[in-house]
Amino acid sequence: MCSPTRAALLTGRNHHAVGMGGIPEFSGGFPGYSAMLPRDAAPFPKILKENGYATAGIGKWHLTPEKEQGPAGPFNHWPNAWGFDYYWGFLAPEAGQYDTMISENQKIIGVQEGRDGKPFYFPEAMTDQAIDWLHGVRGHDAEKPWMLYYSTGCSHAPHHVAKEWSDRYKGQFDQGWDKLREETFARQKALGVVPADAQLTPRDAEMPAWDSLSENSKRLFAHQMEVYAGYSENADHHVGRLLESIEEMGELDNTVVVWIWGDNGASLEGTPTGTFNEGTMVNGLPLTDEEQMQLTLKWGGLEAWGTEMMYPHYATAWAWAGNTPFQWGKQVGSHLGGTRNPLVISWPDRITDAGGLRSQFTHATDIGPMLLDIAGIPQPDLVDGIAQQDFHGFSFTDTFADPNAPEHHTQQYFENFGNRAMYKDGWWLAMRMPRTPWRLDPALLAKFAPGVWDPDADPVELYYLPDDFAQANDLSATHPEKVKELTTLFWEEADTYHIKPLLAGFSPFFGILPPLGANSKVTYYGNVQNIAPGVVPRIYNHSYTISADLLIPESGAEGVIVADANHLGGFTLYVEDGKLKHTYAFLGVFEYRQVSTESLPTGEVNVELVFAADEAKPATPGQVTLFINGKPVGGGRMDHTVPFRVQRLLRHGHRIRRRPRRRPELRPQGTVRVHRHRPEGRL
Amino acid sequence: MADTEFDVIIAAYLIPDLAQEDFDAMVRLVADKRLEVEGVALVTIATDGTPTVQQTGDHLGRKGLTIGGGVGLVVGLFAPPLLASVVVGGAAGALVGRFAKHKVDSGLGEKLGAALPPGTAGLIAIYDRSKADVVDKTLVSAVKKSVAEVDGGGAKELKAALAEAQAGMGGG
Repeated sequence: MCSPTRAALLTGRNHHAVGMGGIPEFSGGFPGYSAMLPRDAAPFPKILKENGYATAGIGKWHLTPEKEQGPAGPFNHWPNAWGFDYYWGFLAPEAGQYDTMISENQKIIGVQEGRDGKPFYFPEAMTDQAIDWLHGVRGHDAEKPWMLYYSTGCSHAPHHVAKEWSDRYKGQFDQGWDKLREETFARQKALGVVPADAQLTPRDAEMPAWDSLSENSKRLFAHQMEVYAGYSENADHHVGRLLESIEEMGELDNTVVVWIWGDNGASLEGTPTGTFNEGTMVNGLPLTDEEQMQLTLKWGGLEAWGTEMMYPHYATAWAWAGNTPFQWGKQVGSHLGGTRNPLVISWPDRITDAGGLRSQFTHATDIGPMLLDIAGIPQPDLVDGIAQQDFHGFSFTDTFADPNAPEHHTQQYFENFGNRAMYKDGWWLAMRMPRTPWRLDPALLAKFAPGVWDPDADPVELYYLPDDFAQANDLSATHPEKVKELTTLFWEEADTYHIKPLLAGFSPFFGILPPLGANSKVTYYGNVQNIAPGVVPRIYNHSYTISADLLIPESGAEGVIVADANHLGGFTLYVEDGKLKHTYAFLGVFEYRQVSTESLPTGEVNVELVFAADEAKPATPGQVTLFINGKPVGGGRMDHTVPFRVQRLLRHGHRIRRRPRRRPELRPQGTVRVHRHRPEGRL
Repeated sequence: MADTEFDVIIAAYLIPDLAQEDFDAMVRLVADKRLEVEGVALVTIATDGTPTVQQTGDHLGRKGLTIGGGVGLVVGLFAPPLLASVVVGGAAGALVGRFAKHKVDSGLGEKLGAALPPGTAGLIAIYDRSKADVVDKTLVSAVKKSVAEVDGGGAKELKAALAEAQAGMGGG
């Protein structure tokens, strides 16, 4: 999973120990899941910075608590506070690659323009930023060492890439995921990156056999993978651009490049059919195969898969194929498919065994200690006067020269949303919970609510990795003593590193949320833009009012009063053709529109939208009423509302136009107020 | 035939050549005399958004007409400029179907071209209602279908049915 792995990588500590047992969107009131980096776990970029390195983080972040992603901060969990002199990228878990909401240092600066008249595209833009930063550092100081954290949005959803890239793979996946996996496995053996005696693990019944699919599905799914492949190759192209720029500076041979590729195992979150909008899965909205096909058609068909019209994610079984030869994938921390990613290290001046393979067990927590080891910087006992947790990872620089160097990282727990594993001396106990990663719907999650689920009652699997690279032979039945030993060890680790309460990463789904605070009214003065999802007034699942004071000139006006996100989930309250209008997009599945029956007068005008929820519950239906100067002027029913989140940022006021303006642009005279009713609610 | 009741179906496809396969399957059924249609047309939307009538089969199975040889009822439903891309054959004058004497300009072609995204396809057919099940099972690759009954034998009724079917294609 994104945040836990990033936190482990950057801090050198286990993810729960630094508050990142889950993701910031699901953070809760438990130490292991707070999403708040503790002061006793200084990340290695901070240590490098304090020891004379210039540091930058460029790209995806996903490590700042959502509630802190605004101008009021606090900023001690933003990238700069993690030790980066400079940050440019997106704070969110994921972002559209064409309209990325960019943050720079401690400010969300919103959607940017492309360079040289070209449309903005995040992979290109972030690489330009990284190169610019390197050039700037070297232009300032010819000798100062630097450290760059370059983190692509790819290959996380949405799979956004230009057609010219996906077209390169046209027809290359028509054989389907079952065959692709066999082909990949054969290639892996030919390359020697998996042992000759490794066995290919079978497909789980949750994923359909390719041959069982309709021709329609095969064609759609093959195209999903073409887009994914093009997206991935594009990212690789930009990594190449970055390396070329370092080479141009004459510094590549003395630069340690640590390349880790993957989404902690390719992502299974696209549902078995793939989805036109990953937001449907995030909001726990299950869609049938037929509905996914129809919605794909609605938003542009195959030609639009990869464009900004969709927020696409490929079918689950493609991720499984991408994780060859392992079982499962992202979120399934119990198995290698959800934990093992390729790691390549390049350092031409010091690593002479180019192309050599190393097989020592290593973990994300090892990267920081390894880099500090290379830099000759010991782990500090104190940082900013705070005594530090020891690193939980280990340097493995001795493997650079010696392929047979001893394994230093001999024990490691894994836990992600309830899926667990315990590794020790080659043995791996896999404790998978009976939940597929693409289901977040209330009916399924209810089975795992506190007091309902007994994690130790589920079946477990036991593997011995030195003899079983792919986890193909379950030894749990013949080695019950090892199962018991590793189960006990896991729970000991759980106590040590704040893993308990298990599933705290899902606490919002069980109604356990941090206090929302007494402030249920938010007022936006003047020109407030780019409000992060976690800071947007939490209007979901409740009644709410949006009220705005407008000044309409005699010639009339039109424009957006307030907008949140886009056609794949969100709403807009606006004035057009003299009428007050409201459009609400339910995740790209349904749209609701209300138009005032009367025109807005000129002069000072107050407009209001009141959503009266049927009841305070997830995805509540309700009634919208529009008001002009306190008088009801129409409305309509909304049978479905977004229960959890939309993927973009709320914007307000005059910077937004739906089309070239024909009349003077509407400007809220002073304020827009959002009032969430029933502030005692915690949905 | 005067008592025959008709349905209109509009089917949408993600993959144009799968639409072609369904169209061909429908034509084969007609050739095998297992289905009669008043008209059927396949519309593909090019990747640049240009709609094109790929095939027509008006009054398939009726005496005096060859499969795909006529431009009649269904194509007649399409408004210019769509028709500009269609080669109009001499068979048009031989139409004998129930609706053939009417000129129905529903604008459906433009609407369908606008409604279907680039790179997709649509199939429209008017057929004997008693064969609805056959038609439904034939159009296996359609991702969305909308059917409307034609209540009467005139252009007005046909147009209303088309509008109803078109409306059924909207929304989610």
